[in-house]
Amino acid sequence: MIEIDVRLPLAPFTLQVRCSLSANVTALVGRSGSGKTSLVESIAGLRRAQGRIAIDDVTLLDSDRGIDLPPERRSIGYVPQDAALFPHFRVAENVRFGGSDQQRFDSLVAALELESLLNRAPASLSGGERQRVALARALMTQPRLLLLDEPLASIDQPLRERILLYLRRVRDLGIPMIYVTHQPFEALALSSWCVVLRDGGVAAEGASRAVLADAEVAGSVENVFEVSQPQHDPILGITRVTTSDGLALVLPYDQVAEARFPLVVRISADDVVIFGARPTSISSRNVFEGTVTSLRISEGIVDLTVSAPAPLTVRITRAAAEDLGIADGSRVWLALRSRAFRIVG
Amino acid sequence: MPHILLFTLTIAAISTVCIAPVALALAAWSWRAGTKGLVVDAIAALPLVLPPTAVGFVMLEILSRRSPVGALLQRMGVEILFTPKAVVLACGVMSFPLMFTAFRVAIETSDRRYFDVARTLGASPVRAFLRVTLPLAWRGLLSGLLLAFCRALGEFGATILIAGNIPGRTQTLALAIYDRVQNGSDHEAAILVLYVVAMAWALVAISSVLIAQQRRRFAA
Repeated sequence: MIEIDVRLPLAPFTLQVRCSLSANVTALVGRSGSGKTSLVESIAGLRRAQGRIAIDDVTLLDSDRGIDLPPERRSIGYVPQDAALFPHFRVAENVRFGGSDQQRFDSLVAALELESLLNRAPASLSGGERQRVALARALMTQPRLLLLDEPLASIDQPLRERILLYLRRVRDLGIPMIYVTHQPFEALALSSWCVVLRDGGVAAEGASRAVLADAEVAGSVENVFEVSQPQHDPILGITRVTTSDGLALVLPYDQVAEARFPLVVRISADDVVIFGARPTSISSRNVFEGTVTSLRISEGIVDLTVSAPAPLTVRITRAAAEDLGIADGSRVWLALRSRAFRIVG
Repeated sequence: MPHILLFTLTIAAISTVCIAPVALALAAWSWRAGTKGLVVDAIAALPLVLPPTAVGFVMLEILSRRSPVGALLQRMGVEILFTPKAVVLACGVMSFPLMFTAFRVAIETSDRRYFDVARTLGASPVRAFLRVTLPLAWRGLLSGLLLAFCRALGEFGATILIAGNIPGRTQTLALAIYDRVQNGSDHEAAILVLYVVAMAWALVAISSVLIAQQRRRFAA
Protein backbone atom coordinates (compact mmCIF):
# COMPACT_ATOMS: atom_id res chain seq x y z
CA MET A 1 0.00 0.00 0.00
CA ILE A 2 1.38 3.39 -1.02
CA GLU A 3 -0.08 6.34 0.85
CA ILE A 4 0.49 9.78 -0.62
CA ASP A 5 -0.64 13.09 0.85
CA VAL A 6 1.68 15.81 -0.43
CA ARG A 7 1.73 19.54 -1.02
CA LEU A 8 4.35 21.23 -3.14
CA PRO A 9 4.17 24.85 -4.35
CA LEU A 10 4.94 25.04 -8.07
CA ALA A 11 5.03 28.11 -10.30
CA PRO A 12 1.50 27.94 -11.77
CA PHE A 13 -0.26 26.10 -8.90
CA THR A 14 0.28 24.12 -5.72
CA LEU A 15 0.58 20.41 -6.25
CA GLN A 16 -1.83 18.84 -3.79
CA VAL A 17 -2.30 15.10 -4.11
CA ARG A 18 -3.90 12.66 -1.72
CA CYS A 19 -4.36 9.02 -2.69
CA SER A 20 -3.82 5.45 -1.52
CA LEU A 21 -2.49 3.01 -4.08
CA SER A 22 -2.63 -0.73 -3.68
CA ALA A 23 -2.52 -1.86 -7.33
CA ASN A 24 0.61 -3.49 -8.71
CA VAL A 25 0.76 -0.89 -11.48
CA THR A 26 -0.77 2.56 -11.07
CA ALA A 27 -0.90 4.93 -14.02
CA LEU A 28 -0.45 8.62 -13.32
CA VAL A 29 -2.19 10.28 -16.23
CA GLY A 30 -2.42 13.96 -17.10
CA ARG A 31 -1.56 16.53 -19.70
CA SER A 32 1.85 18.21 -19.86
CA GLY A 33 2.28 20.57 -16.93
CA SER A 34 -0.34 18.89 -14.73
CA GLY A 35 2.26 18.06 -12.05
CA LYS A 36 2.97 14.39 -12.84
CA THR A 37 6.76 14.65 -12.88
CA SER A 38 6.80 16.90 -9.79
CA LEU A 39 4.75 14.29 -7.94
CA VAL A 40 7.04 11.38 -8.83
CA GLU A 41 10.10 13.49 -7.98
CA SER A 42 8.52 14.25 -4.60
CA ILE A 43 7.96 10.53 -4.02
CA ALA A 44 11.59 9.84 -4.99
CA GLY A 45 12.75 12.53 -2.54
CA LEU A 46 14.15 14.82 -5.22
CA ARG A 47 11.74 17.63 -4.33
CA ARG A 48 11.08 18.86 -0.84
CA ALA A 49 7.33 18.42 -0.54
CA GLN A 50 5.30 18.76 2.64
CA GLY A 51 2.93 16.09 3.89
CA ARG A 52 3.18 12.35 4.21
CA ILE A 53 4.38 9.51 1.98
CA ALA A 54 4.49 5.93 3.22
CA ILE A 55 5.01 2.58 1.52
CA ASP A 56 3.54 -0.26 3.58
CA ASP A 57 4.87 0.44 7.08
CA VAL A 58 7.87 2.54 5.99
CA THR A 59 7.40 6.29 6.30
CA LEU A 60 9.41 8.20 3.70
CA LEU A 61 8.05 11.64 4.51
CA ASP A 62 6.10 12.94 7.46
CA SER A 63 6.44 16.68 7.86
CA ASP A 64 4.58 16.69 11.19
CA ARG A 65 7.07 14.23 12.69
CA GLY A 66 10.08 15.79 10.99
CA ILE A 67 10.74 12.70 8.84
CA ASP A 68 12.11 13.29 5.33
CA LEU A 69 14.27 10.41 4.14
CA PRO A 70 16.91 11.43 1.57
CA PRO A 71 16.57 9.79 -1.90
CA GLU A 72 19.34 7.27 -1.21
CA ARG A 73 17.45 5.87 1.80
CA ARG A 74 14.03 5.63 0.16
CA SER A 75 14.74 2.52 -1.96
CA ILE A 76 12.73 3.88 -4.85
CA GLY A 77 13.77 3.10 -8.41
CA TYR A 78 13.34 6.12 -10.65
CA VAL A 79 13.55 6.08 -14.44
CA PRO A 80 13.31 9.63 -15.81
CA GLN A 81 11.83 10.38 -19.20
CA ASP A 82 15.17 10.57 -21.01
CA ALA A 83 16.67 7.68 -18.98
CA ALA A 84 19.56 9.91 -17.72
CA LEU A 85 22.24 7.26 -18.20
CA PHE A 86 25.60 8.42 -16.88
CA PRO A 87 27.43 9.36 -20.10
CA HIS A 88 30.92 8.65 -18.71
CA PHE A 89 30.09 5.02 -17.86
CA ARG A 90 29.57 2.10 -20.22
CA VAL A 91 26.23 0.29 -20.07
CA ALA A 92 27.54 -2.38 -17.65
CA GLU A 93 28.89 0.27 -15.28
CA ASN A 94 25.60 2.15 -15.46
CA VAL A 95 23.66 -0.96 -14.49
CA ARG A 96 26.13 -1.85 -11.71
CA PHE A 97 25.80 1.65 -10.24
CA GLY A 98 22.49 0.45 -8.81
CA GLY A 99 24.05 -2.51 -6.97
CA SER A 100 26.79 -5.12 -7.06
CA ASP A 101 24.74 -8.34 -6.81
CA GLN A 102 26.14 -10.38 -9.72
CA GLN A 103 23.21 -12.82 -9.79
CA ARG A 104 20.70 -9.98 -10.02
CA PHE A 105 22.84 -8.28 -12.67
CA ASP A 106 22.90 -11.47 -14.77
CA SER A 107 19.16 -12.05 -14.47
CA LEU A 108 18.28 -8.43 -15.36
CA VAL A 109 20.70 -8.43 -18.30
CA ALA A 110 19.01 -11.59 -19.56
CA ALA A 111 15.44 -10.40 -18.94
CA LEU A 112 15.97 -7.04 -20.61
CA GLU A 113 18.24 -8.46 -23.33
CA LEU A 114 21.22 -6.22 -22.61
CA GLU A 115 24.04 -8.70 -23.35
CA SER A 116 25.09 -7.08 -26.61
CA LEU A 117 24.96 -3.58 -25.13
CA LEU A 118 27.11 -4.02 -22.03
CA ASN A 119 30.28 -2.52 -23.51
CA ARG A 120 28.55 0.28 -25.38
CA ALA A 121 28.63 3.98 -24.40
CA PRO A 122 25.21 5.50 -23.64
CA ALA A 123 25.64 8.02 -26.47
CA SER A 124 25.59 5.17 -28.99
CA LEU A 125 22.29 3.68 -27.79
CA SER A 126 18.83 4.18 -29.28
CA GLY A 127 16.01 5.64 -27.17
CA GLY A 128 14.55 2.21 -26.48
CA GLU A 129 17.91 0.72 -25.51
CA ARG A 130 18.51 3.59 -23.08
CA GLN A 131 15.17 2.97 -21.41
CA ARG A 132 16.00 -0.72 -20.96
CA VAL A 133 19.38 0.09 -19.42
CA ALA A 134 17.83 2.68 -17.10
CA LEU A 135 15.19 0.14 -16.11
CA ALA A 136 17.84 -2.47 -15.29
CA ARG A 137 19.88 0.10 -13.36
CA ALA A 138 16.85 1.08 -11.25
CA LEU A 139 15.93 -2.57 -10.65
CA MET A 140 19.47 -3.36 -9.43
CA THR A 141 18.67 -1.39 -6.25
CA GLN A 142 15.88 -3.89 -5.41
CA PRO A 143 13.43 -1.01 -5.03
CA ARG A 144 10.26 -1.15 -2.97
CA LEU A 145 8.61 1.02 -5.64
CA LEU A 146 9.46 1.77 -9.27
CA LEU A 147 8.68 5.19 -10.76
CA LEU A 148 8.61 5.38 -14.56
CA ASP A 149 8.28 8.84 -16.06
CA GLU A 150 6.87 8.57 -19.59
CA PRO A 151 9.18 5.76 -20.72
CA LEU A 152 7.53 5.55 -24.14
CA ALA A 153 7.59 9.28 -24.88
CA SER A 154 9.62 10.07 -27.98
CA ILE A 155 10.03 6.38 -28.86
CA ASP A 156 8.59 5.25 -32.19
CA GLN A 157 7.21 1.91 -33.27
CA PRO A 158 8.49 -0.79 -33.26
CA LEU A 159 10.78 0.18 -30.35
CA ARG A 160 7.73 1.20 -28.34
CA GLU A 161 6.40 -2.31 -28.81
CA ARG A 162 9.58 -3.86 -27.40
CA ILE A 163 9.78 -1.50 -24.41
CA LEU A 164 6.19 -2.27 -23.48
CA LEU A 165 7.07 -5.95 -23.65
CA TYR A 166 9.92 -5.40 -21.18
CA LEU A 167 7.71 -3.27 -18.95
CA ARG A 168 5.21 -6.11 -18.80
CA ARG A 169 8.05 -8.44 -17.77
CA VAL A 170 8.95 -5.97 -14.99
CA ARG A 171 5.30 -5.76 -13.96
CA ASP A 172 5.30 -9.55 -13.64
CA LEU A 173 8.25 -9.33 -11.19
CA GLY A 174 5.71 -7.97 -8.69
CA ILE A 175 7.47 -4.67 -7.87
CA PRO A 176 4.84 -1.94 -7.35
CA MET A 177 5.07 0.57 -10.15
CA ILE A 178 3.83 4.11 -10.77
CA TYR A 179 3.74 4.74 -14.49
CA VAL A 180 3.53 8.34 -15.67
CA THR A 181 1.98 8.97 -19.06
CA HIS A 182 -0.14 11.45 -20.94
CA GLN A 183 -1.48 8.72 -23.24
CA PRO A 184 -4.57 7.03 -21.78
CA PHE A 185 -4.12 3.92 -23.94
CA GLU A 186 -0.64 3.37 -22.50
CA ALA A 187 -2.14 3.55 -19.04
CA LEU A 188 -4.77 1.00 -20.05
CA ALA A 189 -2.13 -1.26 -21.51
CA LEU A 190 -0.17 -1.61 -18.28
CA SER A 191 -2.11 -0.49 -15.25
CA SER A 192 -5.11 -1.66 -13.29
CA TRP A 193 -5.45 1.55 -11.26
CA CYS A 194 -5.27 5.10 -12.49
CA VAL A 195 -4.88 8.56 -10.97
CA VAL A 196 -5.64 11.49 -13.26
CA LEU A 197 -3.92 14.77 -12.40
CA ARG A 198 -5.13 18.16 -13.51
CA ASP A 199 -3.54 21.48 -12.45
CA GLY A 200 -1.74 19.80 -9.57
CA GLY A 201 -4.78 18.06 -8.09
CA VAL A 202 -6.44 14.66 -8.45
CA ALA A 203 -9.16 15.01 -11.11
CA ALA A 204 -10.16 11.32 -11.06
CA GLU A 205 -9.03 8.09 -9.47
CA GLY A 206 -10.16 4.50 -9.85
CA ALA A 207 -9.87 1.35 -11.91
CA SER A 208 -8.10 2.28 -15.17
CA ARG A 209 -10.81 0.90 -17.44
CA ALA A 210 -13.52 2.83 -15.58
CA VAL A 211 -11.63 6.12 -15.22
CA LEU A 212 -10.24 6.20 -18.74
CA ALA A 213 -13.59 5.30 -20.29
CA ASP A 214 -14.60 8.88 -19.51
CA ALA A 215 -13.84 10.92 -22.62
CA GLU A 216 -13.58 14.12 -20.57
CA VAL A 217 -10.80 12.59 -18.52
CA ALA A 218 -9.07 10.58 -21.22
CA GLY A 219 -9.50 13.01 -24.12
CA SER A 220 -10.64 10.09 -26.29
CA VAL A 221 -12.19 6.74 -25.54
CA GLU A 222 -10.20 3.68 -26.49
CA ASN A 223 -10.58 -0.06 -26.15
CA VAL A 224 -7.23 -1.55 -25.21
CA PHE A 225 -6.43 -5.28 -25.33
CA GLU A 226 -3.41 -7.34 -24.40
CA VAL A 227 -3.38 -10.08 -27.03
CA SER A 228 -1.40 -13.31 -27.32
CA GLN A 229 -1.43 -16.78 -28.95
CA PRO A 230 -1.16 -15.47 -32.52
CA GLN A 231 -2.19 -17.75 -35.35
CA HIS A 232 -0.97 -16.20 -38.57
CA ASP A 233 -2.70 -16.87 -41.88
CA PRO A 234 -0.76 -14.91 -44.50
CA ILE A 235 -2.89 -16.23 -47.36
CA LEU A 236 -6.10 -14.86 -45.88
CA GLY A 237 -4.16 -11.83 -44.55
CA ILE A 238 -5.29 -12.27 -40.95
CA THR A 239 -3.86 -13.14 -37.55
CA ARG A 240 -6.14 -14.68 -34.93
CA VAL A 241 -5.31 -13.70 -31.35
CA THR A 242 -6.85 -14.03 -27.89
CA THR A 243 -7.17 -11.11 -25.48
CA SER A 244 -6.38 -11.40 -21.76
CA ASP A 245 -10.19 -11.24 -21.23
CA GLY A 246 -10.64 -14.32 -23.43
CA LEU A 247 -12.01 -12.47 -26.45
CA ALA A 248 -11.02 -13.92 -29.86
CA LEU A 249 -9.91 -11.14 -32.20
CA VAL A 250 -8.80 -11.02 -35.81
CA LEU A 251 -6.04 -8.56 -36.68
CA PRO A 252 -4.53 -7.68 -40.07
CA TYR A 253 -1.60 -10.03 -40.73
CA ASP A 254 0.59 -7.40 -42.42
CA GLN A 255 0.51 -5.16 -39.33
CA VAL A 256 1.32 -7.78 -36.70
CA ALA A 257 3.37 -10.35 -38.61
CA GLU A 258 6.65 -9.04 -37.16
CA ALA A 259 5.24 -8.11 -33.73
CA ARG A 260 6.32 -9.73 -30.49
CA PHE A 261 3.55 -11.20 -28.39
CA PRO A 262 1.94 -10.59 -25.97
CA LEU A 263 1.06 -7.38 -27.76
CA VAL A 264 -1.14 -4.46 -26.75
CA VAL A 265 -3.54 -3.15 -29.38
CA ARG A 266 -6.21 -0.48 -29.26
CA ILE A 267 -9.27 0.55 -31.18
CA SER A 268 -11.13 3.81 -30.73
CA ALA A 269 -14.70 3.67 -29.42
CA ASP A 270 -15.62 5.68 -32.55
CA ASP A 271 -14.45 2.76 -34.74
CA VAL A 272 -16.80 0.21 -33.22
CA VAL A 273 -20.02 -0.27 -35.21
CA ILE A 274 -23.15 -1.30 -33.33
CA PHE A 275 -26.11 -3.34 -34.68
CA GLY A 276 -29.54 -3.88 -33.16
CA ALA A 277 -29.71 -7.39 -34.74
CA ARG A 278 -27.11 -9.99 -35.77
CA PRO A 279 -25.47 -8.71 -38.98
CA THR A 280 -25.73 -11.37 -41.67
CA SER A 281 -23.27 -10.17 -44.26
CA ILE A 282 -20.41 -7.95 -43.15
CA SER A 283 -16.73 -7.50 -43.98
CA SER A 284 -15.60 -7.10 -40.37
CA ARG A 285 -14.00 -10.26 -38.96
CA ASN A 286 -14.67 -9.20 -35.35
CA VAL A 287 -18.37 -9.44 -34.55
CA PHE A 288 -19.47 -9.89 -30.93
CA GLU A 289 -22.81 -10.23 -29.26
CA GLY A 290 -23.21 -8.39 -25.96
CA THR A 291 -25.39 -6.58 -23.47
CA VAL A 292 -25.35 -2.84 -22.81
CA THR A 293 -24.29 -2.42 -19.19
CA SER A 294 -23.96 1.35 -19.00
CA LEU A 295 -25.00 4.28 -21.10
CA ARG A 296 -24.00 7.92 -20.80
CA ILE A 297 -25.43 10.73 -22.89
CA SER A 298 -23.58 14.01 -23.29
CA GLU A 299 -24.38 16.72 -25.88
CA GLY A 300 -25.63 14.38 -28.58
CA ILE A 301 -22.92 11.76 -27.95
CA VAL A 302 -23.71 8.42 -26.34
CA ASP A 303 -20.95 6.37 -24.71
CA LEU A 304 -21.94 2.76 -24.15
CA THR A 305 -20.25 -0.03 -22.28
CA VAL A 306 -21.13 -3.41 -23.71
CA SER A 307 -20.35 -6.67 -22.00
CA ALA A 308 -19.29 -9.03 -24.79
CA PRO A 309 -18.57 -10.51 -22.21
CA ALA A 310 -15.30 -8.52 -21.98
CA PRO A 311 -16.20 -4.84 -21.56
CA LEU A 312 -16.11 -2.86 -24.82
CA THR A 313 -16.70 0.87 -25.14
CA VAL A 314 -18.68 2.23 -28.06
CA ARG A 315 -19.35 5.83 -29.01
CA ILE A 316 -22.31 6.67 -31.24
CA THR A 317 -24.56 9.66 -31.87
CA ARG A 318 -27.74 10.09 -29.88
CA ALA A 319 -29.73 9.74 -33.13
CA ALA A 320 -28.22 6.29 -33.76
CA ALA A 321 -28.91 5.22 -30.17
CA GLU A 322 -32.56 6.29 -30.45
CA ASP A 323 -33.02 4.60 -33.86
CA LEU A 324 -31.66 1.35 -32.46
CA GLY A 325 -33.67 1.75 -29.25
CA ILE A 326 -30.61 1.24 -27.09
CA ALA A 327 -31.07 1.23 -23.33
CA ASP A 328 -29.45 -0.42 -20.32
CA GLY A 329 -29.68 -4.18 -20.81
CA SER A 330 -30.27 -4.01 -24.60
CA ARG A 331 -28.94 -6.94 -26.65
CA VAL A 332 -26.57 -5.63 -29.36
CA TRP A 333 -23.95 -6.83 -31.85
CA LEU A 334 -20.64 -5.04 -32.27
CA ALA A 335 -18.35 -5.04 -35.28
CA LEU A 336 -14.66 -4.07 -34.88
CA ARG A 337 -12.84 -3.51 -38.16
CA SER A 338 -9.50 -5.33 -38.15
CA ARG A 339 -7.72 -2.48 -39.86
CA ALA A 340 -9.00 0.04 -37.31
CA PHE A 341 -6.79 -1.58 -34.65
CA ARG A 342 -3.61 0.28 -33.74
CA ILE A 343 -0.59 -1.30 -32.11
CA VAL A 344 0.28 0.28 -28.76
CA GLY A 345 3.29 -1.90 -28.20
CA MET B 1 67.65 31.67 -16.11
CA PRO B 2 66.52 28.00 -16.19
CA HIS B 3 66.38 27.96 -12.39
CA ILE B 4 63.94 30.92 -12.44
CA LEU B 5 61.77 28.96 -14.85
CA LEU B 6 61.90 25.84 -12.68
CA PHE B 7 61.28 27.82 -9.50
CA THR B 8 58.26 29.58 -11.03
CA LEU B 9 56.78 26.31 -12.34
CA THR B 10 57.27 24.64 -8.95
CA ILE B 11 55.69 27.54 -7.05
CA ALA B 12 52.72 27.68 -9.45
CA ALA B 13 52.25 23.89 -9.23
CA ILE B 14 52.41 23.85 -5.41
CA SER B 15 50.01 26.76 -5.03
CA THR B 16 47.57 25.19 -7.54
CA VAL B 17 47.67 21.82 -5.79
CA CYS B 18 47.19 23.47 -2.39
CA ILE B 19 44.13 25.53 -3.32
CA ALA B 20 42.43 22.93 -5.55
CA PRO B 21 40.81 20.84 -2.74
CA VAL B 22 39.65 23.99 -0.94
CA ALA B 23 38.22 25.51 -4.13
CA LEU B 24 36.48 22.22 -5.01
CA ALA B 25 34.97 21.74 -1.56
CA LEU B 26 33.76 25.34 -1.42
CA ALA B 27 32.36 25.22 -4.96
CA ALA B 28 30.52 21.96 -4.18
CA TRP B 29 29.14 23.36 -0.93
CA SER B 30 28.07 26.57 -2.63
CA TRP B 31 26.31 24.54 -5.40
CA ARG B 32 24.35 22.47 -2.90
CA ALA B 33 23.60 25.48 -0.66
CA GLY B 34 21.72 27.35 -3.41
CA THR B 35 21.11 31.01 -2.52
CA LYS B 36 23.12 30.71 0.72
CA GLY B 37 26.12 29.90 -1.46
CA LEU B 38 26.03 33.37 -3.03
CA VAL B 39 27.75 34.83 0.06
CA VAL B 40 30.61 32.36 -0.31
CA ASP B 41 30.77 33.11 -4.05
CA ALA B 42 31.17 36.84 -3.35
CA ILE B 43 33.87 36.37 -0.69
CA ALA B 44 35.81 33.88 -2.80
CA ALA B 45 35.81 36.25 -5.78
CA LEU B 46 37.14 39.20 -3.76
CA PRO B 47 40.87 38.88 -4.66
CA LEU B 48 39.85 38.94 -8.31
CA VAL B 49 38.39 42.44 -8.11
CA LEU B 50 40.86 44.00 -5.67
CA PRO B 51 44.23 45.36 -6.83
CA PRO B 52 46.87 42.66 -6.19
CA THR B 53 48.91 45.18 -4.19
CA ALA B 54 45.90 45.74 -1.90
CA VAL B 55 45.60 41.99 -1.31
CA GLY B 56 49.39 41.86 -0.74
CA PHE B 57 49.15 44.69 1.76
CA VAL B 58 46.38 42.90 3.73
CA MET B 59 48.47 39.69 3.79
CA LEU B 60 51.54 41.67 4.86
CA GLU B 61 49.59 43.18 7.77
CA ILE B 62 48.18 39.79 8.81
CA LEU B 63 51.57 38.06 8.68
CA SER B 64 53.65 40.84 10.24
CA ARG B 65 54.94 40.32 13.78
CA ARG B 66 52.61 43.09 15.01
CA SER B 67 49.48 41.04 14.22
CA PRO B 68 48.24 38.14 16.38
CA VAL B 69 48.62 35.72 13.46
CA GLY B 70 52.17 36.85 12.71
CA ALA B 71 53.08 36.72 16.41
CA LEU B 72 51.67 33.19 16.73
CA LEU B 73 53.59 32.01 13.67
CA GLN B 74 56.78 33.51 15.08
CA ARG B 75 56.27 31.70 18.40
CA MET B 76 55.78 28.47 16.44
CA GLY B 77 59.01 29.19 14.56
CA VAL B 78 57.27 29.48 11.19
CA GLU B 79 58.70 32.15 8.96
CA ILE B 80 56.64 33.11 5.91
CA LEU B 81 57.31 36.70 4.84
CA PHE B 82 60.07 37.09 2.22
CA THR B 83 60.48 33.31 1.84
CA PRO B 84 59.35 30.96 -0.99
CA LYS B 85 56.35 30.13 1.25
CA ALA B 86 55.21 33.72 0.84
CA VAL B 87 55.42 33.33 -2.96
CA VAL B 88 53.22 30.21 -2.77
CA LEU B 89 50.78 32.03 -0.49
CA ALA B 90 50.55 35.09 -2.76
CA CYS B 91 50.09 32.92 -5.87
CA GLY B 92 47.49 30.75 -4.13
CA VAL B 93 45.43 33.66 -2.84
CA MET B 94 45.51 35.54 -6.13
CA SER B 95 44.65 32.53 -8.30
CA PHE B 96 42.00 31.12 -5.94
CA PRO B 97 39.06 33.20 -7.30
CA LEU B 98 39.71 32.07 -10.87
CA MET B 99 39.84 28.42 -9.86
CA PHE B 100 36.80 28.69 -7.58
CA THR B 101 34.71 30.50 -10.20
CA ALA B 102 35.66 28.03 -12.95
CA PHE B 103 34.87 25.06 -10.65
CA ARG B 104 31.58 26.66 -9.60
CA VAL B 105 30.52 27.21 -13.23
CA ALA B 106 31.66 23.70 -14.25
CA ILE B 107 29.62 22.08 -11.48
CA GLU B 108 26.63 24.36 -12.00
CA THR B 109 26.48 23.61 -15.71
CA SER B 110 26.80 19.84 -15.30
CA ASP B 111 23.33 18.32 -15.54
CA ARG B 112 21.98 18.03 -11.98
CA ARG B 113 19.65 15.21 -12.99
CA TYR B 114 22.58 12.79 -13.06
CA PHE B 115 23.38 13.69 -9.46
CA ASP B 116 19.71 13.25 -8.51
CA VAL B 117 19.41 9.90 -10.30
CA ALA B 118 22.64 8.69 -8.65
CA ARG B 119 21.06 9.43 -5.26
CA THR B 120 17.90 7.47 -6.10
CA LEU B 121 20.29 4.60 -6.89
CA GLY B 122 21.55 4.65 -3.31
CA ALA B 123 24.57 6.97 -3.58
CA SER B 124 25.17 9.46 -0.76
CA PRO B 125 25.53 13.13 -1.83
CA VAL B 126 29.34 12.87 -1.52
CA ARG B 127 29.51 9.62 -3.54
CA ALA B 128 27.10 10.95 -6.17
CA PHE B 129 29.19 14.11 -6.46
CA LEU B 130 32.53 12.30 -6.69
CA ARG B 131 31.41 9.53 -9.05
CA VAL B 132 28.96 11.39 -11.28
CA THR B 133 29.04 15.19 -11.07
CA LEU B 134 32.82 15.53 -10.85
CA PRO B 135 33.74 13.33 -13.85
CA LEU B 136 31.07 15.05 -15.95
CA ALA B 137 32.35 18.49 -14.99
CA TRP B 138 35.99 17.60 -15.61
CA ARG B 139 36.54 19.88 -18.61
CA GLY B 140 35.51 22.92 -16.58
CA LEU B 141 37.57 21.69 -13.64
CA LEU B 142 40.61 21.25 -15.85
CA SER B 143 40.26 24.75 -17.26
CA GLY B 144 39.94 26.04 -13.69
CA LEU B 145 43.20 24.33 -12.75
CA LEU B 146 44.95 25.68 -15.86
CA LEU B 147 43.63 29.19 -15.32
CA ALA B 148 44.80 29.16 -11.73
CA PHE B 149 48.20 27.73 -12.73
CA CYS B 150 48.68 30.38 -15.43
CA ARG B 151 47.56 33.12 -13.05
CA ALA B 152 50.11 31.86 -10.52
CA LEU B 153 52.84 31.91 -13.20
CA GLY B 154 52.18 35.58 -13.83
CA GLU B 155 51.50 36.73 -10.26
CA PHE B 156 53.39 39.94 -9.45
CA GLY B 157 51.68 42.57 -7.22
CA ALA B 158 50.94 40.59 -4.07
CA THR B 159 54.15 38.56 -4.40
CA ILE B 160 56.47 41.54 -4.47
CA LEU B 161 54.81 42.93 -1.32
CA ILE B 162 54.99 39.81 0.87
CA ALA B 163 57.91 37.92 -0.71
CA GLY B 164 60.02 40.69 -2.13
CA ASN B 165 62.11 40.24 -5.25
CA ILE B 166 65.09 38.28 -3.95
CA PRO B 167 67.07 36.60 -6.79
CA GLY B 168 67.58 32.90 -6.12
CA ARG B 169 65.08 32.93 -3.21
CA THR B 170 61.75 34.51 -4.11
CA GLN B 171 62.26 35.81 -7.63
CA THR B 172 59.72 34.36 -10.11
CA LEU B 173 59.55 34.86 -13.88
CA ALA B 174 57.21 37.86 -13.58
CA LEU B 175 59.48 39.51 -11.02
CA ALA B 176 62.59 38.66 -13.07
CA ILE B 177 61.10 40.30 -16.20
CA TYR B 178 60.38 43.43 -14.14
CA ASP B 179 63.91 43.28 -12.74
CA ARG B 180 65.55 42.92 -16.18
CA VAL B 181 63.52 45.80 -17.65
CA GLN B 182 64.42 48.00 -14.67
CA ASN B 183 68.09 47.18 -15.26
CA GLY B 184 67.85 47.82 -18.99
CA SER B 185 68.46 44.14 -19.90
CA ASP B 186 65.72 44.05 -22.51
CA HIS B 187 67.22 41.05 -24.32
CA GLU B 188 67.07 38.88 -21.19
CA ALA B 189 63.56 40.18 -20.48
CA ALA B 190 62.50 39.15 -24.00
CA ILE B 191 63.87 35.62 -23.48
CA LEU B 192 61.92 35.34 -20.22
CA VAL B 193 58.77 36.52 -21.98
CA LEU B 194 59.31 33.81 -24.59
CA TYR B 195 59.52 31.23 -21.78
CA VAL B 196 56.17 32.42 -20.44
CA VAL B 197 54.53 32.34 -23.87
CA ALA B 198 55.88 28.83 -24.57
CA MET B 199 54.65 27.52 -21.22
CA ALA B 200 51.18 29.02 -21.64
CA TRP B 201 50.91 27.64 -25.19
CA ALA B 202 52.00 24.15 -24.08
CA LEU B 203 49.41 24.13 -21.28
CA VAL B 204 46.58 25.18 -23.56
CA ALA B 205 47.63 22.57 -26.15
CA ILE B 206 47.73 19.78 -23.54
CA SER B 207 44.29 20.71 -22.23
CA SER B 208 42.86 20.80 -25.78
CA VAL B 209 44.19 17.30 -26.48
CA LEU B 210 42.80 15.95 -23.19
CA ILE B 211 39.38 17.48 -23.84
CA ALA B 212 39.26 16.07 -27.39
CA GLN B 213 40.19 12.59 -26.09
CA GLN B 214 37.48 12.68 -23.44
CA ARG B 215 34.88 13.91 -25.94
CA ARG B 216 35.68 10.96 -28.20
CA ARG B 217 35.39 8.55 -25.25
CA PHE B 218 31.87 9.82 -24.31
CA ALA B 219 30.74 9.62 -27.92
CA ALA B 220 32.12 6.11 -28.51
